[in-house]
Amino acid sequence: MLEITVASGKGGVGKTTITASILITLASRGYDVIAVDADADAPNLHIALGIDRWDYIEDYSESEVAEIDQDKCIRCGSCMEVCSYKAIYLDDGVYKVNKLICEGCPTCRLVCPVDAIYMVRASTGVIRYTKTRYDFTLISARLEPGRPNSGKLVSREREYARGFAREDSIILIDAAAGIGCQVISSIAGSNATILVAEPTKASFNDLKRVYRVARHFMQPTALVINKYDLNEDMTHRLIKYADENNIYLLGLIPYDDTIPKSISLMKPVILAYPDSKASKALREISEKVVEIIKNWSEWYIKYRPKKPHPYKPIIIKPK
Amino acid sequence: MVMKSKRIVAVSGGKGGTGKSFIAVNLAVLLAKSYRVVLIDLDVEAPNDYILLNTELDGGVDAYTMIPYIDYSKCIKCGECSRVCGSGAIIASREGLPYLLPRLCSGCRACYFICPTKAIKEARRVIGRIYTSSIRLNSTNLTLVTGVLNEGEEHVPPLVIATKERGLSIDADLYVVDTSAGTSNTVASALLNTDIVIAVTEPTPLGYHDLGMILELTKKLDIETWIVMNKVGLGDYSRHVELASKYNARIVAWIDYSHEVLDSYIKGIPIVVLNPDAQASNEIRNITELIEREVL
Repeated sequence: MLEITVASGKGGVGKTTITASILITLASRGYDVIAVDADADAPNLHIALGIDRWDYIEDYSESEVAEIDQDKCIRCGSCMEVCSYKAIYLDDGVYKVNKLICEGCPTCRLVCPVDAIYMVRASTGVIRYTKTRYDFTLISARLEPGRPNSGKLVSREREYARGFAREDSIILIDAAAGIGCQVISSIAGSNATILVAEPTKASFNDLKRVYRVARHFMQPTALVINKYDLNEDMTHRLIKYADENNIYLLGLIPYDDTIPKSISLMKPVILAYPDSKASKALREISEKVVEIIKNWSEWYIKYRPKKPHPYKPIIIKPK
Repeated sequence: MVMKSKRIVAVSGGKGGTGKSFIAVNLAVLLAKSYRVVLIDLDVEAPNDYILLNTELDGGVDAYTMIPYIDYSKCIKCGECSRVCGSGAIIASREGLPYLLPRLCSGCRACYFICPTKAIKEARRVIGRIYTSSIRLNSTNLTLVTGVLNEGEEHVPPLVIATKERGLSIDADLYVVDTSAGTSNTVASALLNTDIVIAVTEPTPLGYHDLGMILELTKKLDIETWIVMNKVGLGDYSRHVELASKYNARIVAWIDYSHEVLDSYIKGIPIVVLNPDAQASNEIRNITELIEREVL
């Protein structure tokens, strides 16, 4: 079993399109493939694949939110003072919990001198999965707006994926934008990370950030440059960066309006417009992924970081 | 004298890459011609406003969360701290001695309050940096406040809150808040107590799906929401229009997908400066006029 994560730091650079192409190619080659959409507060992979029904939907509730018993509350304000998330506010003399902000830690409950605060289960979201028409299973999650971004939810999705997996399965994880807990949970424990960038300063900057996170987890990394022809100078800089950091260059995708067109059709571009420039590039990239999988040990040894990027939490001790 | 509350406009949108930073930066630059504007970049995982403004981040101050410091001479091995920790950051050994896994700690201080012997003290952990930059573009001045999460840190909301507070502590006529992608409580913290949310979307099914999620969030937060339809020409927006009317959200601008926008992005010069007559610049100017009429 191999687990490969697709991440980019910056959003909207093409993670989902690229993930969908690799999934379809691998499945059509007879690989047992499982997809995980790990962006629970903006899940999009199912839309790109045109999925509108699920075989299974399960409520997911990990977090709690604080509730204040107004009859018991003596209006001391201790709860508001200790909340690190500023989730408690004063409304006309009454302390209230903003449930869209509350992280669910029990701190306010612990400081309340009259036990007026209790924790209630919050509906967090759903986990769902379905067999797609492209012959692989997709696991996806959706968070209720305003719930904490959850690495645990990603871990839960990955547990599902591993549950479905055979010894020779390939699990492909489409990570969220950013570098926070959802992304760390998507990258940690994978076998490799595919990084996606477009040739803009913003994307390059975010790529470096997510690359360092991937390296911290000792991931071999590969790079796809999307819309590479929009700024060839920046593309060269990206390629140079990949070269200097032992990142495998998986391929370049030209700007091509068949990609947005195919998204509108909710059909992966390699199937909707198989002859377009972008589809050709995406097929080549997918073929390279097949090659990586076939020659896994060799590729892994070559591209595995020699040492992890250090993560040293900076802690200032109390006096 | 009546204290006027702060005027805050937030730019959000759910999906990544729809043009949030593009809209936030250009709005701030245009409004800065007539007002004292602070642009606050709360996309702390992937902050890019400074790049769009072609500046570097210098100096800055550390941002902290609490992290427990265990005084083992006082610890009675009761295990309460490890049981109360919702992040799994304190693990008790078989003998009951607590061990801290710093990366997992969310800084909530529950362990500090529950410890019966005060063996847990409050240490501080640096989770990121907050930069304040003065931007000068032609003859306009603008203050940019940027939160940058340290790579490897997982807990985002405390940095978002600290960065927002820092930005709002600067005296100004208007604050423009740029949020991250998504709709979690990180985004909710960024949107909280703002006057208007501008949701930037794109005419694709992905943009539509995530617009629905952000409109649900702003409805729950009870904040008036305007919509900017960016990248017009990319696809069909009829369902977006229906969604907008369902949530009573006005579509305040239609920005064509154009090479002019891309060009400004690549050059690192806001389009309202680089090409003030471009269609995008005109549409953004309309939004600033709306902000002047209805927010300022």
